[in-house]
Amino acid sequence: MYHVSKSYMAGVYALRDVSLEVRRGEFVFLTGPSGAGKTTLLELLFAAEQPSEGQILVLGRNAARLGAGAIPALRRRVGVVFQDFKLLEDRTVEENVRLALDVIGVPRREARSRVFQMLKSVGLQHRRFHHPLSLSGGEQQRVALARALVNEPEILLADEPTGNLDPELTLEIMDLIVSASTRGTTVMVATHDLSLIERYGKRVLRLEDGRVIEDVPAAGSRLGSEA
Amino acid sequence: MSRVWMLIRIAFANAVRGIRTGSTTSSLAVLTIAIVLVLVGSASLLVNNMSGLLDEFGRELQLTAYLEDGIPEPELQRLATTVGGAPGVERVEVVTRQEALARFEKIAGGAELLAGLEENPLPASLEIHLLPGARTSEAIGILESSLDGLPGIDELAHGREWIEGYARALSLVRGGATVISIVLGLAALSIVANTIRLALYARRDELDILALVGASRTFVRVPFMLEGTLQGLLGGVIALLIVFGAYELLLPQLRFGLELLVGHAELRFFTTAEALGLVAAGGGLGLLGSMTALVGWRGQT
Repeated sequence: MYHVSKSYMAGVYALRDVSLEVRRGEFVFLTGPSGAGKTTLLELLFAAEQPSEGQILVLGRNAARLGAGAIPALRRRVGVVFQDFKLLEDRTVEENVRLALDVIGVPRREARSRVFQMLKSVGLQHRRFHHPLSLSGGEQQRVALARALVNEPEILLADEPTGNLDPELTLEIMDLIVSASTRGTTVMVATHDLSLIERYGKRVLRLEDGRVIEDVPAAGSRLGSEA
Repeated sequence: MSRVWMLIRIAFANAVRGIRTGSTTSSLAVLTIAIVLVLVGSASLLVNNMSGLLDEFGRELQLTAYLEDGIPEPELQRLATTVGGAPGVERVEVVTRQEALARFEKIAGGAELLAGLEENPLPASLEIHLLPGARTSEAIGILESSLDGLPGIDELAHGREWIEGYARALSLVRGGATVISIVLGLAALSIVANTIRLALYARRDELDILALVGASRTFVRVPFMLEGTLQGLLGGVIALLIVFGAYELLLPQLRFGLELLVGHAELRFFTTAEALGLVAAGGGLGLLGSMTALVGWRGQT
């Protein structure tokens, strides 16, 4: 990300001249007070927003200049998890997770098998025919995580993924996210939960008023190639 | 199973799911299309039948060329052939003096009235039936000038006022039908597009999530277009049933009224092709409506 700024109205910046680099396989916490620009930064990375200034290189593509037709291809390589889960209430757990495979045309039989394995890895295979509203908050977030990961994305972005969960469920979800990172997925988690940041000891980018005010490297991390 | 076929199947399943789950907005769209098509269908049926009646009336329109006395039979036939080849003429019927007299007797109700006549006073004539396109004042003018001066023709008689009236009525009906179709079509499109846009907003979360997991614009939009088409087809079928029901219900009264007015009334419902056309129009309206609704829709896409 090079000298990226984002303003929604003249003179009011959500992000201001942000430059940063995240390497392939790296785990980064993004933190800062509400309104610091965490969500905007993540939205720029999966091309939900376009920057007002600057360039954003994601998986070798300039996300700042992607045409509408190229955005889906980028998003198939980037899993996203939100605080409010964003699950379709009228579809079963299996159907929700399968969405990510349906859109790329994975055959039904293969998709079912992959969804089952993914749900098994988040401990929800027995709930695959339930609807989201019959699940607890933690279970719903695990479904959202399964949907984000089923396509084996190279990047996982999580915007306050534990914001609606109690401490026990928070750790459950974070452990799943960290385990995705250990399999080689680049992970960026926006959170204002300092206890999480302290617990996992990963790289931390601290934002305030749309600027990166601190970049704390992970203790003992080994950096790979650029993501 | 090919990838394209699988995507089509998913799109179709999503469309059916959309109709099922968004039952209120879906029903509204179907109902809107049905109402619009009932209006369009009724108007078309009315115009069809009026055109039919006018065509029937048009077939009765003719020119009569009264002939000079004493034309020999072979000459009469030659003249009929010449007139038959004139512009705008469909066919020519030769009415001899004897046939004219016989007709008059029939109309007069017997031979008593003619008993005092020493000889047949009626001339032979040619009844010139016009092609549908020649039932206008201008076409008759052209025909008149081409028949003018033909040896053997004494006088050319026609009901120009009738013909002009007929042409005016026909153009009024057709013009009216065109205007009504355009106005109703545009109104229908706008109503259907807005109804479908409502459905789109009701399901914006779904669209955003699809876009989030990398669904292409086509993958997101095709189910909506299919959904609109299916809703339109359903609306078309409902409209067809309503128009048919109303036609069957009102047919006796309509027939009676028309018989009083014009003497006879051959009314007809849509042909199979026309009925299928109405249903297809529903599908087309639904498809166009959903495409219009999707124009400018951005969401996360």
